[in-house]
Amino acid sequence: MTASSRAAAAGPQVGRRSLGWEHALFSTIAAAAVVMVSYPVLLVFLRSVSTEDIGSPLTLEWLQALADSGRSREALVNTAIYTVGSSTLAMVLGVGLSFLSTRTDIPGSRLLGLMAVLPILVPPFILVVGWVALADPNAGLINIAASAVLGGRTVAVNINTMAGLIWMTGLFLTPYVYLLVSAGFRNSDPAMEEAARVCGASRLRLLMTVILPVQRPALLAALLLVVIMSAGDFIIPSTVGLKARIYMLPSLIWQNSSSFPTRPGLAAAQSLVLVVIGLVCIYFQRRALGRGGRYTLLGGKGAGASLFPLGPLRYPLAAIALVFTLCSSVLPILSVSAMAFMRFWAPYAMKPENLTLRNFRYMLFEYPQVWPSAQHSLLLGTLGATLCILLAITLAWYVIRMQGRFSRLVEYAMVIPLGVPGIALGVGILSLWILVPGGIYGTLWILLLAYVTAHIPVAIQFVSSAIHRIHTDLEDASRISGRSLLGTLRRINLPLMRPALIGAWLLIYVVILREISLVILLYNPNTIVLSVGLMDVWGSGFYPELAVYSLLLMVLGLIPVMLLFRFAKFSAE
Amino acid sequence: MMNADETSSISVAGLSKSYGPEGSLRALDDFTLEFPAGQCTVLLGPSGCGKTTVLRSIAGLITPDQGRITIGPSTAFDASAGIFAPPEKRRLGMVFQSYALWPHLSVAENIGYPLAASGLPKAEIRGRTETMLEWVGLSGMGGRYVHELSGGQQQRVSLARAIVGNPRAILFDEPLSNLDARLRERMRMELLALRQRTAFTSIYVTHDQLEAMTLGDRVVVMRSGRIEQVDTPQNVYKRPRTRFTADFMGIPNLIDGVVRTVAKDRIAVDTALGTLSVQSWRSDWKVGDHCTVAVRPTLITFASGEESEARTGRVVRSVFLGTSTVHEIDISGTAITLESFSEERHDDGATVAVKPAAGAIFALLDD
Repeated sequence: MTASSRAAAAGPQVGRRSLGWEHALFSTIAAAAVVMVSYPVLLVFLRSVSTEDIGSPLTLEWLQALADSGRSREALVNTAIYTVGSSTLAMVLGVGLSFLSTRTDIPGSRLLGLMAVLPILVPPFILVVGWVALADPNAGLINIAASAVLGGRTVAVNINTMAGLIWMTGLFLTPYVYLLVSAGFRNSDPAMEEAARVCGASRLRLLMTVILPVQRPALLAALLLVVIMSAGDFIIPSTVGLKARIYMLPSLIWQNSSSFPTRPGLAAAQSLVLVVIGLVCIYFQRRALGRGGRYTLLGGKGAGASLFPLGPLRYPLAAIALVFTLCSSVLPILSVSAMAFMRFWAPYAMKPENLTLRNFRYMLFEYPQVWPSAQHSLLLGTLGATLCILLAITLAWYVIRMQGRFSRLVEYAMVIPLGVPGIALGVGILSLWILVPGGIYGTLWILLLAYVTAHIPVAIQFVSSAIHRIHTDLEDASRISGRSLLGTLRRINLPLMRPALIGAWLLIYVVILREISLVILLYNPNTIVLSVGLMDVWGSGFYPELAVYSLLLMVLGLIPVMLLFRFAKFSAE
Repeated sequence: MMNADETSSISVAGLSKSYGPEGSLRALDDFTLEFPAGQCTVLLGPSGCGKTTVLRSIAGLITPDQGRITIGPSTAFDASAGIFAPPEKRRLGMVFQSYALWPHLSVAENIGYPLAASGLPKAEIRGRTETMLEWVGLSGMGGRYVHELSGGQQQRVSLARAIVGNPRAILFDEPLSNLDARLRERMRMELLALRQRTAFTSIYVTHDQLEAMTLGDRVVVMRSGRIEQVDTPQNVYKRPRTRFTADFMGIPNLIDGVVRTVAKDRIAVDTALGTLSVQSWRSDWKVGDHCTVAVRPTLITFASGEESEARTGRVVRSVFLGTSTVHEIDISGTAITLESFSEERHDDGATVAVKPAAGAIFALLDD
């Protein structure tokens, strides 16, 4: 009996599980985390109704400006078109690919499934640079090929259009849809479908009345996810989008915050629009997923799920599916790689004598920003992912196992960052820390804080499902055997959760490395990170160097993934 | 091995626990009981009767709302004094229904875990684990992982882990329910052999009356968070105190009757089966009182029609069970179940005569 547990048990509510100082520690951390994820939203709102920094007199000037300015209205319309277009494309491709690869007799279905998720490992800027290399109206490889075939100067495809932006974003979002939907298709209980067939339903009827309706929660969740991701997407609107003079909210927020004359109030008002869209979507997505539980839990092993025969369409459909998956991974990587070896990049430069390694030498050894920013990125990626996981373990434990008084609140609050686009989160975090003299503003710590805030929901999802898979008896047995709560966490829970923790760590590390929108407003020249440096190189307009830079980013992201995969395999044996 | 003087008595007083909004669901209602040192106390009852709540409260895995728990010399829980010792401080061993073996540890590491937790040197842990392995018949299997063992072997590892640290008492939470019928039978006998080899305090939770009969020094029948009857296995089986206990102990015949005569400890009751000789826990019966008698199906036999105490009835159906045959018989509106070990069969609808077995004394229920 320790003094502290006695004190805790003597509190007003003896009926609750009284755990002493451990409980107090976990609750304190949970409370801090709730503050961490919720103040940016609050501050985005406050900043958009303040004349100057938070604390100055309130005003409706910025919200008025949002409604009045032609640029803002234009951006709103563009964002809407862009969101609808790329979400539609991603849904069609993602659902189509997942259905083809899991429920039909398409040849090479396993390869197709792999190819469909592969683009998750491909950073979005590879997609951007790759598709510029492929579909630039002047020097894009596709257009050069078209000109050669058709003669004259033929522009077959032009990436600098709304359609081009939608195309890239749609491809980028497709694997997320695939992941959310394919599991449901694969695990759907064959008995449900057999029952429908026995009742006399045709295959088409089966698809319309059983298979798709059962997946409705997953479909809805996927749709809302891609809507949030495309509405808040930063990199494509601020690179190709700005070049094509197609203004959208995230790129305007960036311009209003960083280009002279800065109008942070207007940027906050524009962020507020994104935050509202995001939080509404998240609300409905959570509801859909919550209801989804009762559907997906029905799932059997799925081993006997019947396959739809495609008949004569088998091979044509397989070819089309393969082309789409190539478009989002292999093709851009190849074209970026080709571009990286070019002395310069123009329609007439596509000749063997223009091949060079100079770009690599320059970017890797002479470009002054590259190594400091690489060091920052690796440090922040490693530290950020680790902190995220540790915090997620604490929070998930508080919510699932301690079931403390505020566990529902914590559970809901930790979803907020999913609905706040990176650029808006940046605005919120900036609005607070700019007020704190001698605080973390301008240091690497503010970047770390932003990364942890943004990625805590994903970490919690991984950790929670891992904790749920551990039978409480395993923990109870350890407690009775004489290990304290923290000892049990270390000896029993951590080892049992290791695969999930490694997976979550890698995912967060990779995403931190490629994250731009979150930190574009928070960094300064001393704390620059690799991904943000990409925007500078983009601005210089020298594409071969840009190609080398984005390859470097991709490789740095993939190295630990490969190392850890080997390690994980090794330790599993 | 098991150190008998480490073993302690446990005492539980006034334990209550409610769940749900505003404590609407009462899992445990003022539960008071002594668990004597060196004895096995079986908590028996249907699911939801509170038996597991008692066990987990003693283990420290749940915090009761009220009451006191004393393990040996130390108070483990006292709601009014605000004392709550966490499970790791209570020095208990526990065998779980799910075995609760850790899949990432080897068999030896599983068994040695409590020793490692108490910080013993590695060499001593290895030695004691080896002894334990031998003792549960798993020598040479210490390096294996749990999933490589059969269900019975896993249960033995779980038992070894509960015992290895010389706990003050061992708690069993339906340890045999996950095993198939034959293995359950064998493990029951092994546990009995273990009990006979070493005296240790144990609390055994089950809903299986056979396990309770075999393993308990004392059986505690529980119902909705309260104690229904505490007694020896024989008495719980032969002399259930209440309808609930009788029903739970597998007596289908609860027959209405009227008290005919009251002697010192012998009472005669008139029932549809004739006049039955009964024993009661209550002493205030008066002639003419309405009452209920619990009649085991094996204590009724077929009679030839001439015997005076025989009653005639109609066979509703008879079911052949192998060693015995169960007959459902309707005696002027009262349904009686009779279990017969002879080969004799009766067609459905046949008229038969039945009587209580010679010398049988039945249980007169309190309620």
